[in-house]
Amino acid sequence: MIEVSNLTKEFELTRQQRKELNTTNKIALAVDNISFKCEPGRVFSLLGPNGAGKTTTLRMLSTIFKPTSGSIKIAGIDAVKNPQEARSKIGFLTGSTGLYARLTPDEVIDYFAALYSVPKNLLEERKERLFNLLDMQEFRGKRIGKLSTGMKQKVSICRTMIHDPEVVVFDEPTSGLDVITAENIITLIRDCKTQGKTVIFSSHIMSEVDLLCDDLAIIHKGKMLFEGTMDDFRSNMQTDNLTSEFIRIIHASQTAAI
Amino acid sequence: MIFTIFKKELKDTLRDRRTLMMMLVIPILIFPIIMNLFASVSKSFQEEAANKKIKIGIVGTENNFLQLELNAIPKELGEKEIILYKDTLSLISDLKKDSLQLGAYVSSEFNQLMDSMNPAPLTFFFNATDMGMQERAEAYMAVIDAKAKSKRFVKLGIEEARTQPITTEYRNIASDKEMIGKLAGGILPYIFIAFGFIGCMYPAIDLFTGEKERGTIETLLTTPVARWQILFGKMGVVVLSGLTAATCALLGLFFSIEFIDSEGNAEILKIVHSILNPTFIVLLYSLLIPLTVFFAGLMIPIAVNAKSFKEAQSIITPLNIVMVLPAMVGFFPGIELNFVTACIPVVNIVLATKELIAGSLDIGLVALSFSVMMSLAVFSVIFSYKRFDNETNIII
Repeated sequence: MIEVSNLTKEFELTRQQRKELNTTNKIALAVDNISFKCEPGRVFSLLGPNGAGKTTTLRMLSTIFKPTSGSIKIAGIDAVKNPQEARSKIGFLTGSTGLYARLTPDEVIDYFAALYSVPKNLLEERKERLFNLLDMQEFRGKRIGKLSTGMKQKVSICRTMIHDPEVVVFDEPTSGLDVITAENIITLIRDCKTQGKTVIFSSHIMSEVDLLCDDLAIIHKGKMLFEGTMDDFRSNMQTDNLTSEFIRIIHASQTAAI
Repeated sequence: MIFTIFKKELKDTLRDRRTLMMMLVIPILIFPIIMNLFASVSKSFQEEAANKKIKIGIVGTENNFLQLELNAIPKELGEKEIILYKDTLSLISDLKKDSLQLGAYVSSEFNQLMDSMNPAPLTFFFNATDMGMQERAEAYMAVIDAKAKSKRFVKLGIEEARTQPITTEYRNIASDKEMIGKLAGGILPYIFIAFGFIGCMYPAIDLFTGEKERGTIETLLTTPVARWQILFGKMGVVVLSGLTAATCALLGLFFSIEFIDSEGNAEILKIVHSILNPTFIVLLYSLLIPLTVFFAGLMIPIAVNAKSFKEAQSIITPLNIVMVLPAMVGFFPGIELNFVTACIPVVNIVLATKELIAGSLDIGLVALSFSVMMSLAVFSVIFSYKRFDNETNIII
């Protein structure tokens, strides 16, 4: 379970950043007072155009960033007060995640298992299961730098799941991947849902959201524009397809702001 | 957790060829290569200069004083061929063309002045770009002058010893070890500082900026490990790498002295062996560890702030010069470790190491130097932590 209430994130702008953004404001508001809830066994999608605040929100959930105000509960743990404890419940995967090119998949998995304090007997069992499931046995001893993008993505998935997290956070997990490689991620998200895990993923691709999610939140310029179930969203659509409806909501918010 | 991170980062670092080159290969090989090259080149130059048969042109009459005296000089002082010239213009022209290596002008009154016991002028011409020719002329003249002086003393009926009213003797009471410590002791801390810095540089950039650039830091920060533990694990590798590079450089230097031209350096070798005792090594490392931690603490905030490997490298590389400059103090004579210099970072390490080698160490001053460096190291670690804990610095 993820419970987010009145979450706000402000960044202080340096003089250089103010110059680049052509603004006199000393503060940039990345996330503006958003609240939502992600239930176990359901897939929650955070949808928004580039720069909407999706990544900042997910980074606050995974405690990389500290919120300016608001509260986050991860599997019942206050992530603002006890970030380290909350992190032990999270699996985090982004499309831009890199891996240690000079290590082998085996070494990377062992390393992350040690960081998550996974007991040795459980590690071996989980590693074998995941390696077989993702067809990784053949390249488990090869240096990651020599692997293909698809193979690397499998290692990332294995790394995310090795501590059997209750909550899985995916930040644009399929960005830059071909259809075949992206399919691994889609399968992983579905598996997580089946296993009763809480899944949140961000995307700006409506078809992907349509395929996977049960609940949906649309954010734009840090503000929450829609929050509800996918069925609610479909039933209240004013256009004939999901992408057009998403664009309509974004445009409507911009017009309202003017 | 710190050890888990340290172990992984060390494995990762040891698989990076660039870091390995800077940490192990270059420091270990640089001194044997330089010293071997320098020894063989200077030996071959010396041999070539000594064996070179030179042509000496003399402007003067047939069988003039210089010609006769030069012919009398034994071959051991260098082979020569004497050619007589009529004027200095053609002699200088031949010197410029290198068909002559030395030229001399003996005036027509030379013999007359010698006979009348007056100073007789003699002018030598040489091309300074032709190395060693002035020295060759001076060596010949030392023999000729001594012979001429003896003849004059005999002629004047004076006992040569009586012309020297005072015989002065200068006795050095410093041991060879102290001499080496004071004169050449500066090289040791200089090497350690230079290589320690270079050794820290690549891992610092790779483990912080590199991880940011490759996008692996974000994943690491989502693990249930405190940021200070991540920092300490990584910093440990940076410090170890700096210490390894410096140690390798010192080992390279030691092996160069030990194995290259060991016959000629028997005395130096004996002194080096007497310096390298366990107490010296322990004291040296107790001074150098805080220095390396300070280097790591200085580089990490830069590496954390930098957005790319190139940016970090362009800031840290000039910093190397800033750090190595105080190390040059070790080469200046007269600057000693006292209460003021013991408070100047880097300079205190250099001077304390010199005293350590010379065996003239004031333990109070060493303790002060150690405290200053430890305080700086702690301050730099805190500063690194502040930068590393700043969320906007570690994520691109």
